[in-house]
Amino acid sequence: MLRCSFCGRRAVYDRRYAGVMLCDRCLIKSVEKRFRGAVAKHKLISPGERIAVAVSGGKDSVACLHLLAGYCSWRNCELVAITIDEGIRGYRDHSLPIVEENAELLGVKHFVVSFKQAFGTTLDQIVHLAKRHKTGLNPCTYCGVMRRSLLNQAAREVGANKLATAHNLDDEVQAIMLNYVRADFSRLHRLGPIYPPREGFVPRIKPLREVPEKETALYVLLRELNVHLAVCPYSGGIHIEIRDFLNDLEEKHPNSKFMILRMFDRLKPKIAQGMPEFEMRKCEVCDEPTSANVCKTCELLKQLGLAKQRKMLI
Amino acid sequence: MKTIVVSVKILSKRQKQHIKLPTRAKVAGLLDALDLNPQTVVVRCNGKIVTEGERLVSGDLVEIIPIVTGG
Repeated sequence: MLRCSFCGRRAVYDRRYAGVMLCDRCLIKSVEKRFRGAVAKHKLISPGERIAVAVSGGKDSVACLHLLAGYCSWRNCELVAITIDEGIRGYRDHSLPIVEENAELLGVKHFVVSFKQAFGTTLDQIVHLAKRHKTGLNPCTYCGVMRRSLLNQAAREVGANKLATAHNLDDEVQAIMLNYVRADFSRLHRLGPIYPPREGFVPRIKPLREVPEKETALYVLLRELNVHLAVCPYSGGIHIEIRDFLNDLEEKHPNSKFMILRMFDRLKPKIAQGMPEFEMRKCEVCDEPTSANVCKTCELLKQLGLAKQRKMLI
Repeated sequence: MKTIVVSVKILSKRQKQHIKLPTRAKVAGLLDALDLNPQTVVVRCNGKIVTEGERLVSGDLVEIIPIVTGG
């Protein structure tokens, strides 16, 4: 039997990048410490703030919800949970009750905003329309853009000071690599633990940015939290290839993911220096903030012959 | 060569399978035989979460939980 490097109990995790074994208790403590460390280091949350957290019901968002609930009660902050129901049959309908259950357990107010309510259609229908219109865009493009837009709008409507998302180390490193591969400087320089405030945007924070995906999974399993572990039926594309490449790299060369993140954090101020400042405007169609005349969501919807309504979500 | 047989259930699949491994095989060896990257799964052996360095014995019931679910 392998033993914990700190307390000698039965080990459940070999943290190869740090050369230590962890038992259940030490792993839970360590994830909580990383979370609090990231919040303190990057000043993600101030006392008394209202924090909205995006919760899909997956392991990362459920872990983030529970960690934030503990932190918010300690720092006298108010926490609200927001779920975006994209309308993915056989997937999102299974995760919604799980979010509800976790929010109720923690006494956190929970809001659900659906694509159907905002755009008059579901992601399933959007994917169908995109194929018919031969847009060449994959479902993740629609889902990512539209979900981010609705999350921001919902967070603003509930009066949140910050919008927390459950991006873990793996997500962040995948995004860094994806933007390198696409040479997308404008998206690359926006990555980081906090996306600064801009008119109409609720600042987004990522308190799990330094927690590897496997550790958030172990955290929820060891704490026996109810999570949705299914794979999104639309998952695919270059993003998956980058994810697999990074997992192979980490397996052969432990600590690679952290090193990519550290290097990016050192480069980021230099990347940001080269980026032109842009003026924030209101989308001509839906009034949401954008740097162009029409926001990306409305642009995508227009290609499909759809339009977003100017209306409150909550 | 002496071998052991363990029962393996992957959470995303319904069927249980029996895998033959060399004696003193570890969880890492089982994942290798199944072509699974340890970064992407959590392994339970007889109901307890274990590390990849844990040794397996004949008759062990191994449950593999894929954790990479995002799109």
